[in-house]
Amino acid sequence: MTLSRDGVAGLVCLAISLAMLALTWGLPPAVMVPIGPAFYPRVVVITLAALSLLLIWLDLSAARARAAAPPVAAAPSPPANYRLVLATFIEFGLYIVLLPLIGFRLSTFLFVVVLQVTLEWPQSNVRWALVVLIAVATSVLCHFIFEDYLSVLLPRGTWTGV
Amino acid sequence: MNHYELLLSHIWIILQWQYLGPLLAGTVAGVIGGALPGVTITMTVIMVLPFTFGLDPLQGLAAMIGVYVGGSAGGSITASLIGIPGTPSAVATIFDGFPMTKKGEAGRSVWVGVWSALIGGALGGIVLIEFTGPFASLALEFGPWEFFSLFIFALTMVAGLVGKSVTKGLLSGVIGLAVTIVGPDPIMGVQRFTLGIHELDGGFPFLPVLIGIFAFAQLMPDVETIGTSAQPVADPNRKLSLRVSHLSVLWDIICRPFMLLWVTFIGIVIGVLPAIGGSAANIMAYDQAKKFSKRPEKFGTGIPEGIVASEASNSANVAGSLMMIMAFGIPGDAVTAVMMGGLTMHGIQPGPLFISQHPKIAYGIYAAYLVALPLMVAVIWAGSRAWIRIIMMPKSMLIPIVLVLCVIGAYALSNSMNGVYVLALFCVIGYAMVKARIPLAPLIIGVVLGDQIEANLIQAVATNADPWLFLTRPISGGLLLASVASVAFAVWQHRRENKRLAQAAEEEVDTDF
Repeated sequence: MTLSRDGVAGLVCLAISLAMLALTWGLPPAVMVPIGPAFYPRVVVITLAALSLLLIWLDLSAARARAAAPPVAAAPSPPANYRLVLATFIEFGLYIVLLPLIGFRLSTFLFVVVLQVTLEWPQSNVRWALVVLIAVATSVLCHFIFEDYLSVLLPRGTWTGV
Repeated sequence: MNHYELLLSHIWIILQWQYLGPLLAGTVAGVIGGALPGVTITMTVIMVLPFTFGLDPLQGLAAMIGVYVGGSAGGSITASLIGIPGTPSAVATIFDGFPMTKKGEAGRSVWVGVWSALIGGALGGIVLIEFTGPFASLALEFGPWEFFSLFIFALTMVAGLVGKSVTKGLLSGVIGLAVTIVGPDPIMGVQRFTLGIHELDGGFPFLPVLIGIFAFAQLMPDVETIGTSAQPVADPNRKLSLRVSHLSVLWDIICRPFMLLWVTFIGIVIGVLPAIGGSAANIMAYDQAKKFSKRPEKFGTGIPEGIVASEASNSANVAGSLMMIMAFGIPGDAVTAVMMGGLTMHGIQPGPLFISQHPKIAYGIYAAYLVALPLMVAVIWAGSRAWIRIIMMPKSMLIPIVLVLCVIGAYALSNSMNGVYVLALFCVIGYAMVKARIPLAPLIIGVVLGDQIEANLIQAVATNADPWLFLTRPISGGLLLASVASVAFAVWQHRRENKRLAQAAEEEVDTDF
């Protein structure tokens, strides 16, 4: 009998709640009010642990029921392009890493170009021009609006100085 | 000045370019965001949020109200024209909007939705203006016991009614509470769960958490479908005319006044109930309109009643949500949760004292809401030729821009990368929750209410250490009882639904034999 994604989610939440519960023992006792800094967090993480256990139990019960029932052809689930999802996560992570190193304008331009190309490869020169135009516009317009109009200082690059 | 003089004077203020500009920009963004499939109103308001940081609170709120009102109506354009809901709150609009378009009445389909949104919104606005004050007065009677119980009620209600599993809904809400216990405790300032990371000394900042949770959770399902057969396709060159006689459309709407009032009432009530939102309001209103109709068999074939029910309730729902946030400080849905974050960023705490302490902002909200409704109609009318092209905008162009705006929003909050790192962490958590089919709304409500739940609990216990007061004080006890009842009701409802599905499956098998 294997756990489905519900059971796995329950296990992850259970592990986190137990780790947090362990951390509450290091908190100081109450001084000014009847309940101390550990009371409310304990209530929350114990509830979290209880709900996680319930989710795991429900998942195991469902798995037992599925095993006992005659096999039914599962409806085909829609295809999912997880490679693109992974690529988006990696590129977004790199963008965040590069932001304080090469600054907002350059990193945003690179991120917008690379992610557009990753999500849909441009099939013509016009499309390539559009990709670059959108990246330049996003970078320049955001910088102009936030820095000059809304007084938000966007990250400067420690490597590039811009 | 009395109530109405204040309202009129604030309408005049909102009509000044200083406020009308952000309201108009927000309405345009809202209509576009609402119309783009996969970009919800929540996502749009998150994108607009960083632009409001440098504005005064009322300008920022005007922009966000514009998004809220514009987005509620914008979703119906896509639902009617291409049969894909621009937002979850426009799902029921498809049932009759798209068949009407297929019959060659695209203009009628869109404009019945838009005018219904205006009328439903205006009726909701009257309730908002007249009842927020009395609601707030009622809330002033509440002590920490009642507020604690009210917040618990809000959380259990959301957790029970959102999604397909009560356990997952409750789990999501408690994860939200767990996010708020990281950082200093409210009495002694003792650091909790920071693991020595000084960047967490203030706890997780609310807005980057919210932006992170929604950003990848809402965008990645679209990324998953790019290049697959599951990607929705519509013909961008399809010729659709939105020309229509507006008088006949208005007659379509007002010729059934009782239905209009009833669905508007449903929208307001759903808006007042914490975090259920427009996605439930439009379906419930559609269902009610069908049940009370003299021709229920015609629903789903492209009749105006179905569109009126969905859009009027959806728009009125906005007023209900605003009422709840202004009177009790409880967000009616994720959009008002972001708006609440925007207010607290400016040092304004919504709640029972909000109207008396910040009358300019409170009446400004009423006025902005009332002005946003005709503005929304004007924006949709002015851009009627462009909508079909805008809603076909490739996701590959849109997603990078949305993510850049999310990063700016998280960064601009404190002008530091800390917010961006929190955003990245919660992007991963949000997507993981979507893949585990755990609803996000309870988590957001948990994050919004977590600090207040703890503060009220401590305040109550510090005032009187007797824990039974939570049960013996009538309002507090009633609310806790209602919390238990809402969970029990949700469990019963889910079981009944599962049983019905199992029976339907068995019957299907029987017919095969």
